[in-house]
Amino acid sequence: MVKAAVENGANAIYVGARGWSRRRDAYELSDEKIHEAIAIAHSGGAKIRVAINTNMQSCEIPALLEKMEKFVGWGIDGAIMTDVGAIAQVHRRFPYLVLHASIGANILNNEDVKFYRSIGVSQVVADTKLTLRELASREADIDVGIEVLIHANNCYTYLGKCWMSPYIRLERTADDFGKDVFRGSPNRGGLDYRVCLEQWELLDDKALLEPVITLKNDAFFYLDDIPPLLDLGVHCLKIQGREYPVPLVGSIVRFYRELIDTYLAKPAEQPFDLTPWRSRLEAIQAERDSKRSGMTLVLLNEARQPVPQGA
Amino acid sequence: MGPFELNTTISNLRNLRESDLSAYDAVYLGNIYCRIFEDNFLECLDDLKEGIARVKGQGLRAYVTSYAAPRNDVLPKVQKALETAAAAGADAVEVHNLGVLRMVHEQFPGMPAHVGGFANVYTDAGAEVLKEYGAVRFTPNYEISLDEVGAITSGVGMPAELVVHGKMPLGVSDYCFLLEYEQKWPEKCPTLCQKNLFLKQGDWAMRSVGKGVLSGKDVCMLEHLPALIAAGHNVFRIEAAYETPAYRLNIAQIYRAALEQAAAGGDGTVDESAWNTIREHTAIGLCNGFYFGRTGAEYVGKRMQSVVAC
Repeated sequence: MVKAAVENGANAIYVGARGWSRRRDAYELSDEKIHEAIAIAHSGGAKIRVAINTNMQSCEIPALLEKMEKFVGWGIDGAIMTDVGAIAQVHRRFPYLVLHASIGANILNNEDVKFYRSIGVSQVVADTKLTLRELASREADIDVGIEVLIHANNCYTYLGKCWMSPYIRLERTADDFGKDVFRGSPNRGGLDYRVCLEQWELLDDKALLEPVITLKNDAFFYLDDIPPLLDLGVHCLKIQGREYPVPLVGSIVRFYRELIDTYLAKPAEQPFDLTPWRSRLEAIQAERDSKRSGMTLVLLNEARQPVPQGA
Repeated sequence: MGPFELNTTISNLRNLRESDLSAYDAVYLGNIYCRIFEDNFLECLDDLKEGIARVKGQGLRAYVTSYAAPRNDVLPKVQKALETAAAAGADAVEVHNLGVLRMVHEQFPGMPAHVGGFANVYTDAGAEVLKEYGAVRFTPNYEISLDEVGAITSGVGMPAELVVHGKMPLGVSDYCFLLEYEQKWPEKCPTLCQKNLFLKQGDWAMRSVGKGVLSGKDVCMLEHLPALIAAGHNVFRIEAAYETPAYRLNIAQIYRAALEQAAAGGDGTVDESAWNTIREHTAIGLCNGFYFGRTGAEYVGKRMQSVVAC
């Protein structure tokens, strides 16, 4: 996937370190694979950033620092993280490493940005619920870059502030390297069972009020907002998608690469017609939706399985 | 503070006036989920002033909470609530957002800050950073275990506040789906979310309060209080922001008695009538949250629950 992303025009790629990022292990890389990914990205002129954006346990921070020592030695270009303590410690140990605050940090306002700046973060991922108006209202004197998700998921709840999934099912295991895995908790690095996507009944005490409630949850692609975001000076547009097939991720990256380059290449006064881009995006979206709904059914089914004894 | 503190949350002046707080040591004032919750203390600052005076007048500590997910447009109101809290002599403020913690630290340096459960304290290193920002107490993220909480409190020397009873927060949203349906129902916003609304799907159940999702089951740590006291914990919350005054009083009386007994070295035996009262106040069942490192809806202990719904 790293190769496909680079070849299709990504300037930087995030790779999840196995056991340490906000995805299940199938979508994370071993340390050796990360080493390879660094070489692939750098040879294609792209950057590699490592996702260590789980909320880990206190006892795991020494292991994290050891891992980071290795990644920094291999030449990673940055890391994306969530836990404020882990961020502060990594910054203290590697003061020149570029640190990004993950979507899981749920950064919602200017004061939040200043807080993360003070502990060593130089780039923050804007929460997906923030509007263009809010992004534009960002205080100009905050010396922190902003990263906007242009393909991602807008959950009913704020990301990083939801534990519905482990409330329904949490299976604690350990991976082959002894790292704890919290299956069911996205914040802790396990998978998210997406229980919010069920069709819910709403009851008032015991009486049925509504037979079907769907909690708002949109997987989105930005299109109309891309030109204004670029006009606002947002330099980092992020495509979430490591759980999708490689060809689909390649298509998404290629689409946005061409859209951005075309927009930036046109004279400022010339209007920009999004119509052809819209129809091209529809085909990508149809494929994404089909994959996503299939994955959701698998996860909801898994959420109903009993947790093995002793887990 | 005595051997322990038992506290709860109250969202508005009406609820405060209706509640008998005699079993509590402290009260958090304000609703963290929604600005338009009926006369939310955090928006009605004269009420907040009166609320602080009323709580302190009963010899209790008055804390002022703040929003779980404040965006830029809310910060001026948060600022005003903090100013009111400071001027009216609140004993501490609770913050769920690190930007707001920064505001408290810079603008109200003498004001003790309690870090709330939505601030995501998972590690001792994280708590250490927040301590540097003036935090004197923290509610651990709800999904960490008691073992992990212990690693933080011993590593940082900052007390943890534990939810020992009530519906545990599971998420916060910027969107109230109840507003889509309210025209069909007799009850309207801003009191609609105070009804006993549950989202159900098969065996799964969660309490909905519009912009917030809470556990369907009530967290209950009653039979584990001696272990909590022995582990050095001494700040306990009854999470009752959306409960009735009777719930607030009856549950607190049970916990006060049990905590006093546990603090005196008791074995944690609780009278059957107390369990009956708890049962009367529980719509779905009991759970232990994540305290034992298991699925949040599970109950661990001698007091077995019928395993019906989450």
